[in-house]
Amino acid sequence: MKRSKRFEVLEARPVHEDGFVQEWPEVGLVAVDGPNDPKPGIKIENGVVVEMDGIKRSDFDMIDQFIADHAINLEMAEKVAAMDSKELAKMIVDINVPREEIIPLTTAMTPAKICEVVGHMNVVEMMMALQKMRCRKTPSNQCHVTSVRDNPVQIAADAAEAAIRGFDEMETTVGIVRYAPFNALALLVGAQTGRGGVLTQCALEEATELQLGMKGLTSYAETISVYGTENVFVDGDDTPWSKAFLASAYASRGLKMRFTSGTGAEVQMGYAEGKSMLYLEAKCVYVTKGAGVQGLQNGSISCIGVPGAVPGGIRAVLAENLITTMLDLEVASGNDQTFSHSPFRRTARTMMQFLPGTDFIFSGYSAVPNYDNMFAGSNFDAEDYDDYLALQRDLVVDGGLRPVTEEEVIAVRNKAARALQAVFRELGLPPITDEEVEAATYAHGSEDMPERNVVEDLKAAQELFTGPITGLDVVKALAKNNFTDVAVNVLEMLKQRISGDYLHTSAIIDSNFVVKSAVNDPNDYAGPGTGYRLTGKRWEEIKNIPFAIRPEEIGQ
Amino acid sequence: MVDKNALEQIVREVMKSLQESGPKGGDNPAVNADQGLDPARDYPLTTKRPDLIRTPTGKSLDEITLDKVLKGEVTPQDVRISAETLRLQAEIAEKVGRPQFARNLRRAAELTQVPDDRILAIYRALRPHRSTKEELLAIADELESKYNAKANAALVREAAEVYERRGLLRTA
Repeated sequence: MKRSKRFEVLEARPVHEDGFVQEWPEVGLVAVDGPNDPKPGIKIENGVVVEMDGIKRSDFDMIDQFIADHAINLEMAEKVAAMDSKELAKMIVDINVPREEIIPLTTAMTPAKICEVVGHMNVVEMMMALQKMRCRKTPSNQCHVTSVRDNPVQIAADAAEAAIRGFDEMETTVGIVRYAPFNALALLVGAQTGRGGVLTQCALEEATELQLGMKGLTSYAETISVYGTENVFVDGDDTPWSKAFLASAYASRGLKMRFTSGTGAEVQMGYAEGKSMLYLEAKCVYVTKGAGVQGLQNGSISCIGVPGAVPGGIRAVLAENLITTMLDLEVASGNDQTFSHSPFRRTARTMMQFLPGTDFIFSGYSAVPNYDNMFAGSNFDAEDYDDYLALQRDLVVDGGLRPVTEEEVIAVRNKAARALQAVFRELGLPPITDEEVEAATYAHGSEDMPERNVVEDLKAAQELFTGPITGLDVVKALAKNNFTDVAVNVLEMLKQRISGDYLHTSAIIDSNFVVKSAVNDPNDYAGPGTGYRLTGKRWEEIKNIPFAIRPEEIGQ
Repeated sequence: MVDKNALEQIVREVMKSLQESGPKGGDNPAVNADQGLDPARDYPLTTKRPDLIRTPTGKSLDEITLDKVLKGEVTPQDVRISAETLRLQAEIAEKVGRPQFARNLRRAAELTQVPDDRILAIYRALRPHRSTKEELLAIADELESKYNAKANAALVREAAEVYERRGLLRTA
């Protein structure tokens, strides 16, 4: 065939590098309404669920049983099952029906029912619903701070910068697993240098992650994965009961935590049972609810390429965020892995959470260049900071970030690098040179950093993990080296685990170390003029991007 | 239609597990007594009710200062949450309509008594295909008798039943 020049141009566009696939419902490669998705229904006898969504109790797999026995508010369950799903969907979107009237209904739905209800909504209605149903009134944001070389000095500097840019939560992980204690320590020191009160975590294998928290090197955890089919859950080496126990273990040490799940995980792991991605994800949200965990990271997360490839997939990703809020759970709403080469698709995907606002719009936004992101990239990264600031300003939306000046960024990066240098010296870890401090102060990514002795670092990191050093030793090291303000901040973070206020749903911590959660900052959105409004000082802050022309300076 | 015999069996099992586990969150009325907290008035406890908060070592929040850390008067045990504080937070959770979360916090209150290493070992034992039914039941007994962790014991017993039915026990 003689080629059309138009088609040749179109094929050269970035969107053609993306993977698109036709639906294949039999293997679960379908966003919603899978051929084996059950019909909603519930039967309760003597306070026990004897049938749920067409499955008899004797046929329940472990996930069905966990959901039936722990996750559903049974008092209202039969009443809600009998209500028309379209009418329920209308109530959820309706600004005149307050959130507190909706929650008793949505927490009494079965997984199939909740999918049927959200199935009646288009994406604009889902965003309306999300704006009302998210737990915390004030929206917020989380970032990733990682380094392809696990460079601790760079991590500390990037964390400090990310803190002054406005992130309330930060997540790191590792290239080499044995580096984990250094990455957690660098993130902690960097974040608390930038702003006291920022929550930090290090994503690792479940038991290791808990150990780092117990040592006081992290303040919360997130990568506690749950799945929607029994086979995949077991492949992930857990059960709802082991995960529920782990949840209580975290709380018993005063550590905040949330679970993680996402559409596409089951089909990617080959056991979707012919059920749709959204239905299986709904079951993950219910497992989270049943385990008594305060919140969930979802929005496909590391599987975004799967829903991103099928028709309606990105709508389903929004629907899973919405279902999480309908079960009265904190939502850290994804937007975290690169899914498209097209800047249009990337932006559109994020607008679904950015416009209505969620507890954490990203989980997280890459605070480093994409090549340094060890979570396989993020939908937005450090090179998109100014675009993101412009989006907030254009649309009068609080996306959680604030404009900063080059001078303050350089100063805070330098301070964080020096603080970590002092901590390493005091704890007897391999030295951080002045050259490294200087490089981290001005760096964009790990390519700008001098190389470290990896063998020495790994040996010391392992000793840090198995040895007696805790967060209190970090406080001492900082104070002894005149980083008193940072020492106080790290100590205040340790003190959070004494009172446990931040264990509550959707908790973040402000710079005065006061917790803001769904308990004392509940979402009261009820239409125009209500709920969270971007006004006053915060709007002034967002308006004043440093790269805008100041009319008074023209003509001088 | 549900088979009648099967249903009776289910009800019996559930009644039995309810009796074994007692009221949700443990059956000690003293530790589960309502402290009269009002979420609107008393939360966050750190700023609104610091009088109620004690570390497991009996210290108040304002005793944990940088000065005392530097003098070596603060130990890792002083920056932990106590069972009592977790139960206060559970009461807040119940009063804002989050019963599952409250039960998690009450299980956590029990686990404050269990050492770190033992917690990690029990978690590993609960992973699929790690334990026989007898091993899980022994853990449940240990939680109940050694740590008075009745709600956690009930959770482990429930897991043992489900793992048996779904083939998730260790076979060899």
